[in-house]
Amino acid sequence: MAGTAVAPAKVRVRKTSALRGHRSRIALVNAVPVTVFLLVMFVYPIIGVLSLSLKGDSGAFTLHWYADALSGANLSVLVSTVRISAETAAASLLVGFVLAHAIARMRPVFAALAMLIVVVPHFISALVRTYGWIIMLGEHGLINSLATSVHAPGAPYSLLYNETGVVIGTTSVMLPYTVLVLQGVMRGVDGRLLAAAAGFGASRFTIFRRIYLPLVAPGIGTAGLLSFILCLGYYITPALMGGDRQTVVAALIDQQVMQQDRWNSAAAFGVILLLLTFAGLGVLGLARWRRGKAHARRSGS
Amino acid sequence: MPEHTTSLTAGRLSADELAAVLAPQSSSSSGKSLSVTGLRKSYGGTTVVDGVDMEIAAGEFVTFLGSSGSGKTTTLMMLAGFTEPDSGTVTVDGRDITRLTPGKRDFGFVFQQYLLFPHMTVAENVAFPLQLRGVDKAEIRRRVGETLEAAGLSKFAGRKPRELSGGQQQRVALCRVLVYRPPIVLMDEPLGALDKKLRDQMQSEIKTIQRELGLTVVYVTHDQEEALVMSDRIAIMKDGRIEQFDTPRALFERPRTPFVADFLGAANFLTGKVEDGGADDRTRVRLDTGGVLTARAHPCVPGQSVRAAVRPGKLRLVGAEKGCCTGTVETAVYVGSLTRVTLRLDGADPGTPPLRIETAQTPPRVGERVSVTAEREDVSVFTETDGG
Repeated sequence: MAGTAVAPAKVRVRKTSALRGHRSRIALVNAVPVTVFLLVMFVYPIIGVLSLSLKGDSGAFTLHWYADALSGANLSVLVSTVRISAETAAASLLVGFVLAHAIARMRPVFAALAMLIVVVPHFISALVRTYGWIIMLGEHGLINSLATSVHAPGAPYSLLYNETGVVIGTTSVMLPYTVLVLQGVMRGVDGRLLAAAAGFGASRFTIFRRIYLPLVAPGIGTAGLLSFILCLGYYITPALMGGDRQTVVAALIDQQVMQQDRWNSAAAFGVILLLLTFAGLGVLGLARWRRGKAHARRSGS
Repeated sequence: MPEHTTSLTAGRLSADELAAVLAPQSSSSSGKSLSVTGLRKSYGGTTVVDGVDMEIAAGEFVTFLGSSGSGKTTTLMMLAGFTEPDSGTVTVDGRDITRLTPGKRDFGFVFQQYLLFPHMTVAENVAFPLQLRGVDKAEIRRRVGETLEAAGLSKFAGRKPRELSGGQQQRVALCRVLVYRPPIVLMDEPLGALDKKLRDQMQSEIKTIQRELGLTVVYVTHDQEEALVMSDRIAIMKDGRIEQFDTPRALFERPRTPFVADFLGAANFLTGKVEDGGADDRTRVRLDTGGVLTARAHPCVPGQSVRAAVRPGKLRLVGAEKGCCTGTVETAVYVGSLTRVTLRLDGADPGTPPLRIETAQTPPRVGERVSVTAEREDVSVFTETDGG
């Protein structure tokens, strides 16, 4: 009896694994054009930029473009870029979390509608959107007229041509990404787990802190990193909504290429941005690895 | 009560051990009684639960048995507090808990989907209810350790649930409930996702723990055998109502409705008219196919149309023309310990199914004419008002 029950299961396993092997070979063939495309259009230019950043005016190897980039005014631009990106990531995570949480709890029809409302502004040119914000946030804009009319303390606020303005602008640009990522993760949370926790007597706060938050944590990491990385290279909004102190690396690169014809220096900045992106990915990877290690340590004991 | 101690030795989990670990600390380990009156629930005009009343004694193992859509899970969810009833009350030891949230009821829940927290280790999962109850850390560690030890899960304490097999996961789910010793445990098809062998083993483990701790368990299943093996009493549900709430033996031997007779095991239904319903200990039925069948007493009047139900195993073959009904053997299939016979009765409508008989007697040949009879105690009679 047991023998007859086991035999067909074995056959089935063998069949599927054979099928899987066949499939993966086909998948490899399918991947060839993409790989070639990426090598030509992505890896090759990056190597080009890298070699450009390491060449002096005479063509000899030098690190002075990097030394330049990491000193004086250039360094402060770099620092403010990272700061603005971090602030944007935090702000878009906060707003995105609330928004995604609300959408994840909606009925599918309304959720789709809400997602549309979040994403559609993204189809409009970033320039147009930024000017929209400028109109909204100006001294006589909607926000400030509203604040003055209700006699809010300190109104009117200066919301433009400073860091607040930049972060408001970039956050609105990054919001769709964070909402999309977070909403996907939140949809995946099994509501019955939360009900089970409630069944054991957990309060809403405890359920949120001990069950919900840990389950969506990977999404929070991904969404935060995504908006941070996207913001690092972002250009239009900081240029239009920021002041002198909100010059970002992207603007600096543009200046150097378009106005000063200093390609090597621009390439160095580009490489630094790339390294910052990798650093961001590294931090996320480290966090996951440490969690995995802590887990392994617990299982060992 | 069926026997289930034999399979215990086969199980790696020592249910006795687990019970022993949990019992000493719970001086008031016995479960609480549960009482349900007039429970109703409908969704958008469809009545799912239509007036459930039952009294469950402390320490009793009660099962809701029914096909899908019979309202058994909805009833359980209303007991649990996850679903709010439209009307009716649920009381525990006389205290009304109908409007309490699940967490305030202090019940234990075990679900078919285990619902272990995927981001927590096995030990953390089991510790979770204790942490919510403010038990101090050292005590939590001790109790979690003991519970997992007794369940044979110690070496998995640091693993995540997804690294465990289905059976192990369900054991963790069980530990997570038993560790805080709720007086009443509700289980919704907890073994539904396990294979047959593991299911048998877990059945006896759950039953042993329940009995030794004196837990009150309310269980939901669509598996008849599981219900029969585990339950003190079974509530057979159909269309949101309890058809019959009784011990397994009573359900089997004295079904109160035709549905119950046919649902548990199988039954042959023979139509006829009451010939003599006056006697207090029996009912005589003149069958439509001719012949008279004597059944247990049932309230009815002479001349009334009734259906008599007899289980295939309770029909005895006798020589032609000697029993209550006679027919021609259509099939006779030997299935090991007994032979399954189908009999086409003389005078039966061509549309009616043949009589099913299970016999250990010398089997008849196909085409042979035989007659059958049944003991009075094995024949139930149902009138129109007993339902379909």
